[in-house]
Amino acid sequence: MAKEFNVPPVVFPSGGNPGSGPQQRRVPTAPFQPPRPANPNLPFMSFDIGSAPPPTSFSAPVFGATGVGIGSSFEDEPPLLEELGINTRQIWRKTISILNPFRANANLHEDADLSGPFIFLIAFGLFQLLAGKIHFGVILGWVTFASFFLYVVFNMLAGRNGNLDLYRCLSLLGYCMLPVVIFSAFSLFIPQGGVVAYSMAAVFVLWSTRVCTCLLVELASCGDEHRGLIAYACFLIYTLFSLLVIF
Amino acid sequence: MYDSLGTQSGVPRPSLNPQPNPFGNAFYGAGSGLIRGGLGAYGEKILGSSSEYVQSNISRYFSDPQYYFQVNDQYVRNKLKVVLFPFLHRGHWTRITEPVGGRLSYKPPIYDINAPDLYIPLMAFGTYVVLSGFLMGLLGRFSPEALSLQFTWGLGCWFGQVLVLKLMLYTLGSGEAPLLDMVAYGGYAFTGVCVNILGRIIWSFSYYFLMTWTALSMGVFLVKTMKRVLFAEVRSHASSMHNYCLLLLALAQIPLFIFLGWIKA
Repeated sequence: MAKEFNVPPVVFPSGGNPGSGPQQRRVPTAPFQPPRPANPNLPFMSFDIGSAPPPTSFSAPVFGATGVGIGSSFEDEPPLLEELGINTRQIWRKTISILNPFRANANLHEDADLSGPFIFLIAFGLFQLLAGKIHFGVILGWVTFASFFLYVVFNMLAGRNGNLDLYRCLSLLGYCMLPVVIFSAFSLFIPQGGVVAYSMAAVFVLWSTRVCTCLLVELASCGDEHRGLIAYACFLIYTLFSLLVIF
Repeated sequence: MYDSLGTQSGVPRPSLNPQPNPFGNAFYGAGSGLIRGGLGAYGEKILGSSSEYVQSNISRYFSDPQYYFQVNDQYVRNKLKVVLFPFLHRGHWTRITEPVGGRLSYKPPIYDINAPDLYIPLMAFGTYVVLSGFLMGLLGRFSPEALSLQFTWGLGCWFGQVLVLKLMLYTLGSGEAPLLDMVAYGGYAFTGVCVNILGRIIWSFSYYFLMTWTALSMGVFLVKTMKRVLFAEVRSHASSMHNYCLLLLALAQIPLFIFLGWIKA
């Protein structure tokens, strides 16, 4: 036998109207109900924490209505990777071009992007993690500092002709980090501190340096007389990262 | 040909010059103090107009950093030889002046082996950090935190060296030499320290011999350059006081090199 409980009627407020945006923002009626922005293309982007309403009544979030409300423009949105600016084919081509240390294809690296370097640095951190060292933050900080250092040195040496900007510097530095990432992968299988480790480090660091210098000199018009000076700066940076791998 | 750097669009200014257009006037190169000092070496000082005097007060603190990076391979090689083996330098130690825009200024480092540059100190500092990291790893005490500690320690020692040089200039002369010149002279010590650490990596007992030798070389180098700087600034050459201070500076290099060679791991 069921006792009859006196349940008050639950009222669902009809707050799913995207047209009444400002009014919705000022008089929110339910918790967890984001104020509807005037722009229907960004359904979930604005969450105004400051205007959190007092919990007067509980209602289900009305996202369904939102989806229905802007459903017409959902199929028009570009694919996610394209919207984020990640061109995977270009990244792959750039990566392949780094693998050849004797000929640098500078045209591919004309437009800089940071997603390739990001993947390489995460992979570097993962290989270090496999070796038992947690270096994610260290890698991030050192890459930032090294790119700033290279940016200052390159532009000071190049004088009036230097047109390297920090974004492109960071992109080039990150792409040319690929040999060091490969070295960190190989170093998992060789004994630590042996002669093999040092010689491999030398080979991979020289590879990185050569590719980085070639790309820098071709992309940002520097002039060949500073090639050795730029190469030494790059060499210092990649040796620093190889120290993380060896020791 | 090296000319006035009035229109620099692509070069980043590391926010060293506080005034909006520092290169529109006739002052460039190594700063106005040495411009006047260069004349002072040959005759009496020429005092400019009041606006030039005001502008010289601002450009006294940070002269144009672009001047210090006009280097090439050959300059770097020869300068390293001069810094590490100063007693073998056969030429003179004075900087070459040239008249540009009606004022005398010093020639950039490409044309003058005695001009200070900032490329070598910067690279030597980076090499110092990397080499000390390598040494730490060989001793089994490497960690990224220790390396950043070493970096800060090196930077602090560089700052101390620049402070000593600047104080000496203030007490003995007019202290008008550009700050970046002192930063450059102070940074040349790192080349000697790199040689020390390299020697220590290869064979640990060579460290003591190398350290005394490089410290003394750096002492000789600093004495010879600071003597020229002081002579260019002060007309009345109070010789005994100057010489004692220079001797003290040379001897102070030994504790500096001991400090810098101390691996903080």
